[in-house]
Amino acid sequence: MSKNYKKPGQYRAYLWLTYSSLRAQTRNPATFFFGFIFPIVFISIFGVIGGGTSKVTVGIPNDADQNNPVVQTLQKQSAYITVQKDSEVNLEKNLKQGKVAGIVRVVPSAHGGYTVNLLTSSANAVQTAQVQGVMQGLIDKENLVLSGVTTPPITMTQKEIAGRQVRYIDFALPGQIGFSILSTAIFGTVFGLIFLKKALVLKRMFATPTKALTILLSQGTSRLIVALAQTILILIVGVVVFKFYLPHGLQTFIELIILSTFGLVAFLGFGYLIAGLSNDENAASPLTNLITLPQFLLSGTFFPTDNLPKWLQPIANNLPLSYFNMAVRKITTEGGAFHETYPYLLGLFIWSAVMYILASRTFKWQ
Amino acid sequence: MTAKEPIIKVTNLQKKFGDFTAVDHISFEVKEGEVFGILGPNGAGKTTTLEIIETLQKATDGEVIVDGVNVAEHPWEVKSRIGVQLQQASFYPELSLVELLNMFAAMYDIRINPMEMLKKVQLEDKAKAFANKLSGGQRQRFSIATTLVNNPRVIFLDEPTTGLDPQARINLWEMVREINKTGTTIVLTTHYMEEAEQLCDRLAIMDHGKIVKIGTPQKMIDELLASGFKKEIKPQPATLEDVFLHLTGRSLRDE
Repeated sequence: MSKNYKKPGQYRAYLWLTYSSLRAQTRNPATFFFGFIFPIVFISIFGVIGGGTSKVTVGIPNDADQNNPVVQTLQKQSAYITVQKDSEVNLEKNLKQGKVAGIVRVVPSAHGGYTVNLLTSSANAVQTAQVQGVMQGLIDKENLVLSGVTTPPITMTQKEIAGRQVRYIDFALPGQIGFSILSTAIFGTVFGLIFLKKALVLKRMFATPTKALTILLSQGTSRLIVALAQTILILIVGVVVFKFYLPHGLQTFIELIILSTFGLVAFLGFGYLIAGLSNDENAASPLTNLITLPQFLLSGTFFPTDNLPKWLQPIANNLPLSYFNMAVRKITTEGGAFHETYPYLLGLFIWSAVMYILASRTFKWQ
Repeated sequence: MTAKEPIIKVTNLQKKFGDFTAVDHISFEVKEGEVFGILGPNGAGKTTTLEIIETLQKATDGEVIVDGVNVAEHPWEVKSRIGVQLQQASFYPELSLVELLNMFAAMYDIRINPMEMLKKVQLEDKAKAFANKLSGGQRQRFSIATTLVNNPRVIFLDEPTTGLDPQARINLWEMVREINKTGTTIVLTTHYMEEAEQLCDRLAIMDHGKIVKIGTPQKMIDELLASGFKKEIKPQPATLEDVFLHLTGRSLRDE
């Protein structure tokens, strides 16, 4: 008996299963909250804390001499120096709390000049360095003027290239996109598939002519649609409310959608792997955290990896989410061209290839 | 029931899980249009036998032919000709019954009128309800509706009335008879004797992976009596179930 039966069509099953999975996700309040409300709350916080300036605050005690060239020049530099006048006690208190970078007291020196006494705090090294530089530059300039040098032997010209001030949101928003996509791809897929497995929804589906691959593809597609909706929502809120900068406008937007698609497909590999290995939520939870937490912390999602210890950096810079974040920042924060993201996409591709191969070897359907 | 080819032909079927033999070289046939019951205690191998015929498990040895199609060789063709109801299977909790039926139709690559299907199982008024909001009996009925989506030649019901109250059970039997009347062959497993006696044209009694007896319920009883068996009978014109149904009525209690 060698009859040739018609192969069951998978196309309509694929579309309906994608729709069903999408419907199930959008009707689930938890998915909706974590997928859409959460990221907006996050970037709103980034937008607010990102608003600080890089001005340095210098305190001048009320009882100190105000009529010397140093203090007078200091007060004219309002572009990068804020002068705070207060009692010495209050200023010192502010200095300890880091609200003031340094306290300047100018006293006449023995040979008719001045001595600038700068008081700084060990509490804030960055501000200390800033105020040191500012004061030293100011004193050097003033010395030249006072010694009557109008044509100093060495001069410096500085040209500023077109650039924009990078705010925290410009750094954090790409991280938020990566965070959302990784969450959707891994948490959504793992707990979604395990539920279908445990509740025997999958087994019931296997009694129909719909193939397992069709079911997995439709699961992935529905996650992709959710992830893209998240990216678009984050970008719209970022651009409209917090003036997130897209270097090439719509083109950058489209490139971000393409990157998000690659990112989701890559991260899905992890989702399938964990969902395939685990029989229930209890087995899946630690695995899921093991894979996602280090990436959230180490991949430069919300703070730069430069601050991490040297030995950790090779690991941190080669995680899948790091590649995704670097690719996104390349075309947003750094204003680079799309082809500059290829090395990162290659890294992402290698990770996902490994995951998909492992998943296909280990997947358990029940 | 004419002398046609049997719709299901199981020959020398064996299923092993490691050293454990769940199904031990069984053979039986199911005739087209009958209600065939597999009766047995828990762990007798009923579900495993059913799942092999349903293509959900692979046989270790033996041959299964469903509607002229070899299950091992053409599982996809078999899947499209049968309807399967699983023990305890549930559905996407966030989808309505109509959406679920449309989804099942798509999985068979066909189109259906979902309301018509729901009408067959008396769930028209639950069309927009979610599957996880149904009562036990309603869920079983809906489960049966999903087995009818592809207009199958034979449907398999695995312990369809386990956990149902007497009213829901009687109602489900009624439904099974209705479906059977339209020409659909039905294979079911049960461990309720009354269900087997009321519903099944023929029975296979399974224990420890083997079929110990096969035949019509009446013939089995007659044979037992003929062998000299005598049950100590106290004349009891009514049972407790009769009392229960008399007091609570036969009508269905789904909300």
